[in-house]
Amino acid sequence: MLVRRFPRAVASIPALVAFVREFFAARGLNAERAFDVDLVIEELFTNMVRHARGGGDAIEVTLDHEAGLLTVRLRDENVEPWDPSAAPPPDFDKPTHQRRAGGLGIFLVHKLSRDVRFEHANRITTVTARLEVAS
Amino acid sequence: MFKLEPLATGRVKLIGRLDAAEAEQASSVFAGLEGPIDADCSALEYISSAGISVLMVTYKRLHQKGHAFRLSAVQPRVRNVFIYSGLAPLLGVE
Repeated sequence: MLVRRFPRAVASIPALVAFVREFFAARGLNAERAFDVDLVIEELFTNMVRHARGGGDAIEVTLDHEAGLLTVRLRDENVEPWDPSAAPPPDFDKPTHQRRAGGLGIFLVHKLSRDVRFEHANRITTVTARLEVAS
Repeated sequence: MFKLEPLATGRVKLIGRLDAAEAEQASSVFAGLEGPIDADCSALEYISSAGISVLMVTYKRLHQKGHAFRLSAVQPRVRNVFIYSGLAPLLGVE
């Protein structure tokens, strides 16, 4: 398991990418799959940065891998209840160029993950996504 | 890092990672594109919803002026994001 805290800013994204590469190299995972993990982390992280009210200076990110499943967990402390899964998904009935861009990020997270869980308790939001990643 | 490299007239090359950290600067560069544009994506390694949004704004702007904005040579892992977003047909991604 690898755990690290990242400053609450989109400028943390390059450090998050390096964190994912570090984990993939240490575990000998297929590097091609790291891009899907990047996308899941970026979308969840930027949602927390932009939409979570309150929150400390940093968001904690954990990576783990067991039995072909990679677990991504983001933990945001001292925040108001927040559930991005409540955001409306992209409206696929509208012509593409008329759709809102919002909601697409979380939609992509669900597309790339086997399952996604949002929890909020004691002013802590935890999002856990699991992706199938072979060794 | 992300870079938009001009090639011949009407042709540009997208290089690197178009993520939320790069989106703001990228959108100001894309805002300078005029006329029909073919964007070579062979060196586009990664795109997130923030990057998709930049391309969508560019598509809308050029489309309103009657110009095409098409992507070519999109890598498979990036192509999936366009397909999931429902943007693949619009941007000519096969």
